[in-house]
Amino acid sequence: MVVRIRLARFGKRNAPFYNIVVAHARTARNSKPLEVLGTYDPIPKPPRPGDEGGRPWKDIKLDTSRAKYWLGVGAQPSDPAWRLLSMAGLLEPRYRVAQIQEEKAKLEPSAAAETSAAAAKA
Amino acid sequence: MPPRIRAPALQPPNTTYTPSTRFQCPYHPSSQARPFSNSTPHASRLRRRMFAWLQGPGRAFKEPLPGSTNYLGAYDRSGALIRGRGLERRAQGQREEGKHASDGAEDEAVGVDALTEEKERLEREAKEKREGELPPETLEDLRPFPLNREFRSQAVLSEELREAIWERVVKRGSVRGVSAALGVAMERVAAVVRLKEVERNKPLALPYARAVLAMLPQTPLDTRIKPRPHESINDLPVHQATTTQLFHPVSESRHFTRVDAGLVFDSRLPLLPADARIPHPELVAQAGMTRTEVLEAQKALDEKEKEERRLREEKRKKREAKNKVVQGRRWDFVFQEVSVESVGEDGRSAKGVGWRYGFPHEDRKRGQVKIPRRVEA
Repeated sequence: MVVRIRLARFGKRNAPFYNIVVAHARTARNSKPLEVLGTYDPIPKPPRPGDEGGRPWKDIKLDTSRAKYWLGVGAQPSDPAWRLLSMAGLLEPRYRVAQIQEEKAKLEPSAAAETSAAAAKA
Repeated sequence: MPPRIRAPALQPPNTTYTPSTRFQCPYHPSSQARPFSNSTPHASRLRRRMFAWLQGPGRAFKEPLPGSTNYLGAYDRSGALIRGRGLERRAQGQREEGKHASDGAEDEAVGVDALTEEKERLEREAKEKREGELPPETLEDLRPFPLNREFRSQAVLSEELREAIWERVVKRGSVRGVSAALGVAMERVAAVVRLKEVERNKPLALPYARAVLAMLPQTPLDTRIKPRPHESINDLPVHQATTTQLFHPVSESRHFTRVDAGLVFDSRLPLLPADARIPHPELVAQAGMTRTEVLEAQKALDEKEKEERRLREEKRKKREAKNKVVQGRRWDFVFQEVSVESVGEDGRSAKGVGWRYGFPHEDRKRGQVKIPRRVEA
């Protein structure tokens, strides 16, 4: 059976909260997974007091080494999971994440080299 | 019923409206105007009384006293300021005294040194000035509702004091120290600082604030070394655990202290003894010290507090530096590293990462606090 890395929606109505889980593909969304790799809170938080840029932020908790392991043994990330894992530098960025990174690369060529190198290494 | 419209022919002939006639009762017997109301005699008596009050004892409230509250409780029935009575009497007495004193003063002044004379004159002037002013408000004057004798208006911080608090906290960086120095509770000092921060970036309704402040007793900024406190700052907070009765038999031979008493209330999380629970335990320690010693002790405390804060900040920065921040278009994605091992061997630890499986969500349970308990200012 295929093992997938996917999001399991918890939280309340209008207050979503996701566990990033490793689970068998055919099990129900919120059933007990093989492992909880982390969480993703999609509701942006207001900028913190000491923050210079003053940008809102989203909180993601992730066990990177376990995620790498599961990817190594063939777990298939779902599209949203791919999005998050690529931002963490574990996968090749696709779609919107890739677009944004390209935009940033045009603005700052030096920083872009680092991110692409990191992605390639992963 | 059709609306009652007054016919123009029935209007009173003289309807000029001058300040002197403003509060005159339209139902007064001598009034020439035709009474246009069908209200009962009782109601008109009440109105008559109201106008009588407005023109008599209530006149004092039309022009509020400058620099003082102007509550009903401060005046007697005839509309005279109670604390101003002595002033009138003294003024009368002085007028009479002045006639006698003027002839005796000349021969006395001959042998006295010019310096002391000058000093005396200044003192006398200051005394006269003090006597000429209204005495400060007593507790009796601070009753805005005459029928509720228990309610007394409490003083609020004046604008200057609030400004001084904010400046000192920003400069000195110690809420505790500023609270002890100015006699304002720590919670209030913190609230003033937060409010000042908000006020800096917002348009303010200053005339409104001024009007409200004029109606309240205020604590002025006192620049003396030991200023008059705004409130009692070292009250022992009542811990909820101590509100229930508790009988704990102890043998007479046992040395039973307040620390032991705290253990009795809760053995897991013992209550601190009262000396440690008061807001300013350092003030008790400084009780017998001289002025310089107190200053030094306070300085050391401030330094310690500053150092602790710096360490905390450093720790937070270090923790946040470990996070990976990926910039999106509208917000940043902050990746925090966690460990899957935190769920424990059975996978059921509450410290584990993420929403837990097989546990009911307890947000409807009694005692769950859902209102925010802290504000990121």
